[in-house]
Amino acid sequence: MRTLDWAVLVASILYFIAYGLYRARGVNSTHSYLLAGKTMPWYAIGLSIMATQASAITFISTTGQAYSDGMRFVQFYFGLPVAMILISMTAVPIFHRANVYTAYEYLEQRFDRKTRYLTSVIFLLQRGLGAGIALYAPSVVLSVILGWSEQATTILMGVVVILFTVVGGVKAITWSDFQQMILIFFGLIVSLVMAIQLLPANVSFVDAIRVAAAAGRINPVVTTFDLNDRYNVWSGLIGGMFLALAYFGTDQSQVQRYLSGSSIAQSRLSLIFNAVAKIPMQFFILFIGAMVFVFHVFEKPPVLFQPADQKKIEARAEYPAVKQRFDAAFEARRQAAYSMIQYDGAAGDSFREIYRGAQKELDAARVDASKLAGPSNDVNYVFLRFVTTYLPAGVVGLVIAVVFAAAMSTISGEVNSLATVTVMDLYRAARPGAEDSHYLMASRAATLFWGAYAIVFAGYGSRLGSLIEAVNIVGSLFYGGMLGVFVLAFYVRRATATGAFIGVLAGEAAIFYCFWFTKISFLWYNVIGCVVVILVGYLLSGASRRYSDA
Amino acid sequence: MIPRDDPPPFLGTWNRVYAAVVIYLALLVAGFYCFGRAFA
Repeated sequence: MRTLDWAVLVASILYFIAYGLYRARGVNSTHSYLLAGKTMPWYAIGLSIMATQASAITFISTTGQAYSDGMRFVQFYFGLPVAMILISMTAVPIFHRANVYTAYEYLEQRFDRKTRYLTSVIFLLQRGLGAGIALYAPSVVLSVILGWSEQATTILMGVVVILFTVVGGVKAITWSDFQQMILIFFGLIVSLVMAIQLLPANVSFVDAIRVAAAAGRINPVVTTFDLNDRYNVWSGLIGGMFLALAYFGTDQSQVQRYLSGSSIAQSRLSLIFNAVAKIPMQFFILFIGAMVFVFHVFEKPPVLFQPADQKKIEARAEYPAVKQRFDAAFEARRQAAYSMIQYDGAAGDSFREIYRGAQKELDAARVDASKLAGPSNDVNYVFLRFVTTYLPAGVVGLVIAVVFAAAMSTISGEVNSLATVTVMDLYRAARPGAEDSHYLMASRAATLFWGAYAIVFAGYGSRLGSLIEAVNIVGSLFYGGMLGVFVLAFYVRRATATGAFIGVLAGEAAIFYCFWFTKISFLWYNVIGCVVVILVGYLLSGASRRYSDA
Repeated sequence: MIPRDDPPPFLGTWNRVYAAVVIYLALLVAGFYCFGRAFA
């Protein structure tokens, strides 16, 4: 990081704090603190929804994923537009008309208090872990890349978020997200332009796509159906739709965003905006990763992108052999890529085969190197290493500011929603009838608590090791059950409180069975859990109605 | 207070907006498929 990079980074962070505090003016009730007084326009909510969902690790690892596995990850989002339509048609008007602060408050109106408590507690468990990880994951990568301690990056991001979130609530968060998302878009465009500009002069943009495609990196649609394959068009459309329905329809960190809309139409427009913009944005991020891959076809990458792991393996006796294989494969791949660009027809095809063979050899050498280094997720370091090594002064600071912005926008939304559920679903139920100012103070205290919790949890992150991956799957362990109970509430008129409550427990049992005893990809857990909740809830509701009638 | 349920600012009704999003999704997936095939 050079002086100009620091200037850009520090100015961006100071601007976010000042802007968040500026937007926090006039917040003097729980309604304005937790729902922004229902005054927000669709474009601010739309970008805030997008910013909350796209965490820093999304930007860091999605590009790395395209580098190593191609663009097929984009299919994960194919079900999202349909989910947005269904939520706009049902959840948005129902939540608005129920005049609730949280999605779980509606479940008490529809069923009973125990169903509200059960879903609130599930949300706090799942999102509480998520908030810590959302802070920890980027801080690890940034600390390695910038040479700071993990504590420094964690505390910097955490304190900035706490500052404007505690003071300004959802209004400050939404407007800050709006600003941060604009910076993110700008940073992404600059990154792609730079990645293309850095290609050798005799490699055109179309050539670059051909080189990426020949290595299997331009694969946005995979039509093969395989339950155990994480990303194909079917898992994306069906599993992805259920996941998006659960996340945007039942997760308070998202529901709270569109509940702040000034009307049902404004909330719906914010979701339609995401339905239209989300897939192209993810495609764009993945395409950056594919271009970084092409850049490294011609510019030699390190064997491992994680600097500490690279140093570690250099000390191993096996390293020279691995390095020799890696270098030979890289050189063969580079020569074949140049020849592939130069020749068409049969000659081009034969060079493409040589190129693919060299790519396989290079991948194998990287796998062997990773084994020497021990457990690590090297793809998370591909993009930031590219940025900090090859991009000019100022742009590096901009991209790092983008990563900070993405992390802060996610954490602020999560901390705010955790505080809302804690106070409105649990604390207010335990201590009803107090003044609004009391609940406002409790909401600020809860925000401070969850912000501090995220920082402390992130501080222990290094001890979690491979648990991080497990924590990422925690969301999908609970979303199916949550979605099922909301489907019962919205669509099944005969559903009873007992049927819904036991249905959730049965759905969770089914998901955990799949998790422990099958190899089914986690995207399908949402479908399975939801279907089990609906079936069990429906059948038990019929039985409990007959019992009460008798 | 009952919240307002206004029509969308374009296409007249919400159902038309939803239909437009579904068509857009189909075109997007088809476009990605063609893009992948063109360079495969």
